[in-house]
Parts: sequence; structure tokens; C-alpha cells
Amino acid sequence: MRARQQIIPYLFLLPALLLLVVFNLMPTIATLFESMFVISLRSGERVFAGFANYNRIFNDPIFWKSLQVTVVFSLLVNPIQIVLALGLAVLINQRVTGIGVFRSIYLLPIALSLNVTAIVWGLMLDQNSGMVNGILLQLGIARQPFLHSVDQALWSIILIASWIGVPLWSLFILAGLQNIPPPVLEAAKIDGASAWQSFTKITLPLLRRVLAFVLVADTVANFLMFAPILLLTSGGPQLSTNLIMYETYRRGFLYGDLGASAAMLSVMLVIVFIIVGIELYALRGND
Amino acid sequence: MSHRTKSTASSAAMKSKPWRFHRQPIVVYALLILGVVIVVVPLMWAASASFTPNHKVFEYAYPFSWRALLPVDFTLEAYDALFERGFGRAVGNTFFLAIATVIIGGGVNALAGFAFGRFEFRGKNALFLAIVLLTFMVPVDLTAIPRYILVNSFGWINTWQGLLIPGLANSLVIFLFRQFFAEIPQELIDAARVDGATWLRVLVSIILPISKPVLVAAALLMFISQWNAFFWPLLVAPTKDMRVVQVEISLAIGQYGTIWNELLAGSMIAAIVPILLVIPFQRYYVQAITGTGLE
Repeated sequence: MRARQQIIPYLFLLPALLLLVVFNLMPTIATLFESMFVISLRSGERVFAGFANYNRIFNDPIFWKSLQVTVVFSLLVNPIQIVLALGLAVLINQRVTGIGVFRSIYLLPIALSLNVTAIVWGLMLDQNSGMVNGILLQLGIARQPFLHSVDQALWSIILIASWIGVPLWSLFILAGLQNIPPPVLEAAKIDGASAWQSFTKITLPLLRRVLAFVLVADTVANFLMFAPILLLTSGGPQLSTNLIMYETYRRGFLYGDLGASAAMLSVMLVIVFIIVGIELYALRGND
Repeated sequence: MSHRTKSTASSAAMKSKPWRFHRQPIVVYALLILGVVIVVVPLMWAASASFTPNHKVFEYAYPFSWRALLPVDFTLEAYDALFERGFGRAVGNTFFLAIATVIIGGGVNALAGFAFGRFEFRGKNALFLAIVLLTFMVPVDLTAIPRYILVNSFGWINTWQGLLIPGLANSLVIFLFRQFFAEIPQELIDAARVDGATWLRVLVSIILPISKPVLVAAALLMFISQWNAFFWPLLVAPTKDMRVVQVEISLAIGQYGTIWNELLAGSMIAAIVPILLVIPFQRYYVQAITGTGLE
């Protein structure tokens, strides 16, 4: 009886574990492995190449440019999204009449795919007759090129990503805010703390875990930003939006150079390992 | 430094707490409404433009007038043309795929969540940690190429298996089930076990009937992420008859990118399904999203 019971949890786990091993764990190892091969999508031929793929990408200015664009994008989009998400969370945490309706409306972008968002905002930002330019015209401001300009394209992608990202991450922060026991804030109020002080001295420190989680999850999600680039800019103009995830797709699936693509993905995997590893380590220390 | 902090504290107290938001509901409402405008205006324009003849799509957007937000020149031509191109096939494919994911994936993940939530067994913590690490450290899109090669070697390119099976096991859904099942009172289970019920029977006839919140949350999470899935279906099922909605609208940009009303009509169909699911079940959906992250 006892021995039989020992088997049961493993049986229940088996289907999920099997699927995770075959379709998640093995491909992870294989990504690192494939990066050592030169393969052709069309012929299927596959030759061991050692570090040749890495050599190629590390000597390729397009790869470095793409990494640079991705770093700049990350350094802009993540702080912007987190600050705005924190502000939005505080806002929808206010107990005013009708707040439930507002919360529902802010859920709408979260339900949508990045594709839909990219298509709608791509047309909103149309350089000739998009609505954003239509509003600027009413305000007496000249037409802007947005996605067609080296200076504005990346900012346009940041806007599109944030339209979903800000409400999404604010949900996590809101949950964190609601976990703060009201007596803690009441006590601060009685002690004469201003709302700003109790926010910076009490609320923010109590949100530390949530904010750390959001920071990392947001960083990883934006690091993999893909759909708006494929749909709207193809990495242009002049590679100014050529984010690394799009570059791996372009190399692997448009040019059929899976080896170089796998090498880039391996580099990305290492970067994600480091980002998430730092967070797991930091959170472990706090508890 | 400490002197400065003190003086700000006292002056703030004297100035009757200027940061207290709820004393100034006008500021709160102004900001809330600003947010609503940013969220709703693009959607209202997109929806209206999808019901507008193509040559009038931008008519009220540039220069902007309120007419841009309502379908003043109402027509269904974009939707008619879209379905004539076979868009209905993609909608059907996506529904089928999302429902299959909910049913089969729901079973697979509920079983795993049950094992983690209700059993003690050797290697449990190590296995769980491994799944957590795999989930958060290895985003699935980063390993798509070897997964593609693997699925290709199975002969699953452009098949339902290729679309469905790699995404069935979903660790976020396993976490949801585990958390919920762990909180069910032991007495309920003990009673059934004394009556000689098997564990599978306990799960199906005792636990699942009282697990509606987690079932709804998990189903929403799986349905919507499958409905919105793009990268994997783009790689594994690119041909016309296997395409899903997200792939279809992404290809539409290249194929008929200047037929804006059709592009927007496709986008609105892609948008309306998750919106109609999220609005009535928003409590569950929010719980599903945040519940997976805060552990």
C-alpha cells in the first residue's frame, strides 16, 4: 500500500514532465549544441563547426549593432514601463467611485496580442495620415515620421510595447500594494508622515520583492521583443530597431543560417541566465 | 541629512498632507481618464475603421475629428472580403487549437499540480525547483530552433500535433493548480480515501468540483495565451490551411498591407475573443496572471 502510494505522484507528474523534458529542456541543451553546427534549412545537411558560428557572429557588425540596439532599448523601455506601471498601480489602488470600471478598461490591452497592438498602433503612427499626426496637426505641430525615422522608430516600438506592458506590470504591483496591511500605513499617518513619505519609506520597501520580480520579468519580456519589429519595421530604418530576437529570426528563418541563429540564441540564453540568476540570488538573500 | 528629513516631515505635516490622493479626487479622475483615452481611443478608431470603406479609413484621423471614433460610414465590406480570403479557416483553427490546449493541457497540468500540491515524495523539491528554473530562465522563444528541428524530425510541420503538443505542459498553469490544491482541507480527501476511492477518483470527483476558481483561471490563461500565440505557430505552421489568426494577420500586412480596413477587421476579430473572455472573468484572469508571478 505504502509503496504503491509512492508511485502515484510520479505517475501524475509523468505526462507534464515528459513534455517539459522533450519540448523545453532538450531544446535548451540543443540550442547550445546546435550553435556548434552549420546546418541548412533547405538541404538539412549538418556539419560540426566548433566555434565557427560564434566566430562569425562576433565578427559581424550587424550582430553587434543589433545587440547595441537591444541594450539601448532595454535601458529605455524597462525603467519607463516600471515607473509608469508603479504610478498606474497606485492610481488604480485609490478607493474612488467607479474604480472597478477603470480597472476593467485598463485590462483591455493585456488581453490583446502584440500583433494586434502593433497593427493598430502602426496605423495610428502612420507618417502620412495616422491619427497621432492628425492630433498633432490640430495642435499645430508638424507631421512626424515615427516608424520611418532613425531617431523615432525605436521610441515608437517603446510606445507600442508599453501600451501592453504598463497595464500588465501594474497588475503585479497592484497585487503587491493590496498585500500591505492597512494598519502599517495607518500607523505612519498617525506618526505624522506625509503620504509621500509613507510611500517612499514604507510602501516602496514593502514592494521590493514585487518590483524585483517585475523588473526581471519585464526585462526578459522586452529582451525577446519580436512581433512589432517583424510587422512594422523589419529592423529598420538603417537597423535602428533591429532587436536581437528579430535578428535571430532573420538569420535563421529568412536566410536559412540556423547555425548563426543558434549561436545568437545561445548568447541570449546566457544573458537571460545572468539576469534571472541575479534576481533569484537577490530574492533568496532577502528571506 | 537627518536634519533635512526631520524638517520635511514637520513641514509636510503642517501643510496638511499634500500627497494624500483621495483628498483630491479630481486629480485622480483626471489621471484615470487620461489612461482611458490612451487605452480606448486606438481601439475605438481601429474598430470603427474596420467598419469603414478602405478609402475613408484615415479620413477623420488626419486631421483628427471625433468621427474617427465612430463608424460613420458603416460597411461590412472589410469583413466580407476578409472571410472570402479564407480568414474563417484561421479563426476555426485557432478556436480548435485553443480549446484542445485547454482540455488536454488542463488535464496534464492539473495532474502535475495535484502531485506537487498534495503529495510528499522523493525529489519533489528538486523537481519543482528545476521546473521553476527552466520556466523563468529559459523563455520558450529562445529555444524555438531546436524545438523546430525536433518537431520537423517527427514530421509534425504543418500539423496539429506540431502546433499543439509542445505547448501543452505549462508550468505557470502547474503552479496555479499546485497552489490551489495545496489549500484544500485534508479532511475532504481523507473521507474519500477511507471510502476506498483511488487518488484519480479523489481528484476527479472530490477536488475538481470545488476547484472552479482555479479551473476558470487556468482555462483563461491557457486559452488566451494560445489564442495570442504567434512565434511558434509562425515557424511550425505557415501554410494557408494550418494558419492561426495571429499568423494570418501578420502575413496580411505584407500581402495586402494597404487594404487597411481588412487588416483592422482581422485585428478586431483577433482582439474581440480574448476581450469577451477577460471582461466577465476579470477577477479570475487577474488572479491567473499575478498568482503565477508572486510566489
